[in-house]
Amino acid sequence: MLSKVFATIAVAITGSILLYGVSDFPAFGDPHSPANAGVPGSESVSLYFIEESYKDTKVPNIVTSVLADYRGYDTMFETVVIFAAGMAIFAILRVVGNKEETAAKAAEEDSFTNGDHNRIIVGTTVRIVVPVIQLFALYVVAHGHHSPGGGFQGGVILGASFIIIALAENLNAALRRLSELNYVRLAAIGIFIYAAFGIMAQVLGSNFLDYGALQPIFMTDGPEMARSHSMLGVEIGVAFTVTAIMFAIYANLASRGQLVKGL
Amino acid sequence: MVDQIPAVLVLAPLFGALLIGLIGHRDHRVCFPIALASLSVTFFGAIAAAQHVFTNGPMDYFVGGWEKPLGIGIHLRIDALNALLLIAIATVAVLVTFFSIRRVGEKNTEKTHYFYILFLLLCLGLFGITIAADAFNLFVLIEVSSLTSYGLIAMGSSRSGTYAAFNYVLMGTVGASFYLLGVGYLYLTTGSLNMQDIHTILGSNPEIAQSKAVTIAFIFILVGIWIKMAFFPLYGWLPNAYSYSPSSTACFLAPLMTKISVYVMIRVMISVFGLEWIFVSLGWSHLVVWLAVIAILAGSVLALAQREIKKMLCYLIVAEVGYMVGGAWLADEGLWGMTGALYHILADAAMTLCLFLAAGIFVKRFRAREISDLEGMFRKAPWVMAAFVIGALAMIGVPPTCGFFSKFYLIRGGLDAGHWEYVGALLISSLINAVLFFRIFEIAFFGNKPAEGHDHSHDPHETEELPVASNEAPPVWSGNLPLFATAVIIILLGIYNGPVVALIRTFLEELPIVASSL
Repeated sequence: MLSKVFATIAVAITGSILLYGVSDFPAFGDPHSPANAGVPGSESVSLYFIEESYKDTKVPNIVTSVLADYRGYDTMFETVVIFAAGMAIFAILRVVGNKEETAAKAAEEDSFTNGDHNRIIVGTTVRIVVPVIQLFALYVVAHGHHSPGGGFQGGVILGASFIIIALAENLNAALRRLSELNYVRLAAIGIFIYAAFGIMAQVLGSNFLDYGALQPIFMTDGPEMARSHSMLGVEIGVAFTVTAIMFAIYANLASRGQLVKGL
Repeated sequence: MVDQIPAVLVLAPLFGALLIGLIGHRDHRVCFPIALASLSVTFFGAIAAAQHVFTNGPMDYFVGGWEKPLGIGIHLRIDALNALLLIAIATVAVLVTFFSIRRVGEKNTEKTHYFYILFLLLCLGLFGITIAADAFNLFVLIEVSSLTSYGLIAMGSSRSGTYAAFNYVLMGTVGASFYLLGVGYLYLTTGSLNMQDIHTILGSNPEIAQSKAVTIAFIFILVGIWIKMAFFPLYGWLPNAYSYSPSSTACFLAPLMTKISVYVMIRVMISVFGLEWIFVSLGWSHLVVWLAVIAILAGSVLALAQREIKKMLCYLIVAEVGYMVGGAWLADEGLWGMTGALYHILADAAMTLCLFLAAGIFVKRFRAREISDLEGMFRKAPWVMAAFVIGALAMIGVPPTCGFFSKFYLIRGGLDAGHWEYVGALLISSLINAVLFFRIFEIAFFGNKPAEGHDHSHDPHETEELPVASNEAPPVWSGNLPLFATAVIIILLGIYNGPVVALIRTFLEELPIVASSL
């Protein structure tokens, strides 16, 4: 009880300090605020992005060009954060036991094969829906640099398609499609793809993640289209990692690290 | 080639981790060579970078080549402030990798590759934090290093370790969110995330620098970092998290995590807000120094009350963090306090590593967790105990160890600034350390009761890792090699304190606040 009182006081103090600073903020939606137009006397980052990003990258979606190119280094490490979260969860939760025994037990309790008719209805529906979900996920990944979307969103949708299989049938059905070995590998390969675009630029004599230097590889007219293609490439890498970790975290949490049966 | 070093520093551990992710599950024995190889690359990279920085000046690296206007891309920077720290991180990482060999012989080896993946990603996070010159990029890498350290702490088989890790998750998340809130406020008022850019904008626009929003941004960033470094009132998560985690994890986290946070604080003070703004306009340095005084005294007294070796060392870390925060905020004219704090980051990393390695060896070889278990240790393990004594003497501050010289510079700063309470706290804390460690020496040398010797009759309280079958037992050198290397480093760092401090001063003397006083 006492701790709750202290917590409330701490929250109230933090909140009031934050609110106290609000009076100095620029007006909401002000096009001339520092974040939108920069501070007088120094160049504005936001205006640069708005005016120059299409010329630099030929990507109409400014968010993607900032995320995957200008600040691509941050995004790579955001992907590493996801990878690290997955690894931490496996390291803590995964129970390594006698595999044959648990697998046999799981097969015994597999209600799907034992004629549970409710599951048949759900399972059939899911089987029809999953390809559509996955197709849409691929669209979101592939079209990320032209419309809202990208690797993170597409990866989550793709991961959800595996989770829905696990929910409708059982965890083993989903693990047959994406096994433990493969999801750890897939997650690592995703970041590997991302970093490879950066390293290739280094090999060609430019800085890390300077996609413009990849022009000879993509055989494009100028560095702009090379940047555009590379953004698609790194989005695919992000999607790999996010898909694998999304599903893997579900699988480990749902089965308490046993990787059998699930919810 | 040299200009690519900043990227190589973070990429080498990243590729090590990915490679282990791809092939590590097959045979856990491939993990150690991969980890060692990738960390060696970083180690030599860090040395090459330092050499370059001290001969040719700071290295700026713009990821993706987005250089102008400043702030559109990510800016990495190695200068005299962080070049030495990079070497320190790389050295600790390589030494702890050797120490971690013993973890491989654990009950089940199926999780070994996860340990190495997390360990390498943690190294990556620390290197990235150190070279980041972008306020948001710093946050991303704080996330990487925090997440991996939560995982590493919880990996131990003890239940209290899991609970401590959960506590740490909560506190760490609050700290990181505070930092992010502060950066958000700063972005709202300046429109930039690049540290150098923010510094210029605050310097040339006094009305922005004086605004409430910037002050609040500073408070939130500072408190966020304080939580991460376990500064006194916010230290609650640290002792359990470090003492219940597996030994190799503790050996890596204890010397580095808090020290990196101190570095981040100093970096934010110097490179983002500017010392003139903090010391002259805000004028809170007295308050912070008093907080540091309380931290030092509380940490030392709490350490005195502990019976477990690792717990005691953890509370000493709380006191040491007080040293560094107090030193950084002394605001004396020649910045000798800041010099002492920066030197102490290196010195404390070496001392803490030495003591935690020794404590880890006590637990693993002799199952000695409590101070009273150490009796007869001088006879059982004379060399390990000798290294422990060197670490302890450095902690107390006996010349020629590095602990003496860092205290010397800190006290000089305290005297110059007229902060007598800080000088007093340092001396009292040294005395308490002397009492603490000489009590341990006495028990280890003479013992409490007549020596019964080699029996292991009493049950260990919470066995962290039991030695497995003897053919899988880790080689003795894996513990001794890093321990002795650290002991030598402590003494060398002390003897060569002059050159090291001169390197640190090259950075500080360029700051306008010092240049005007010289």
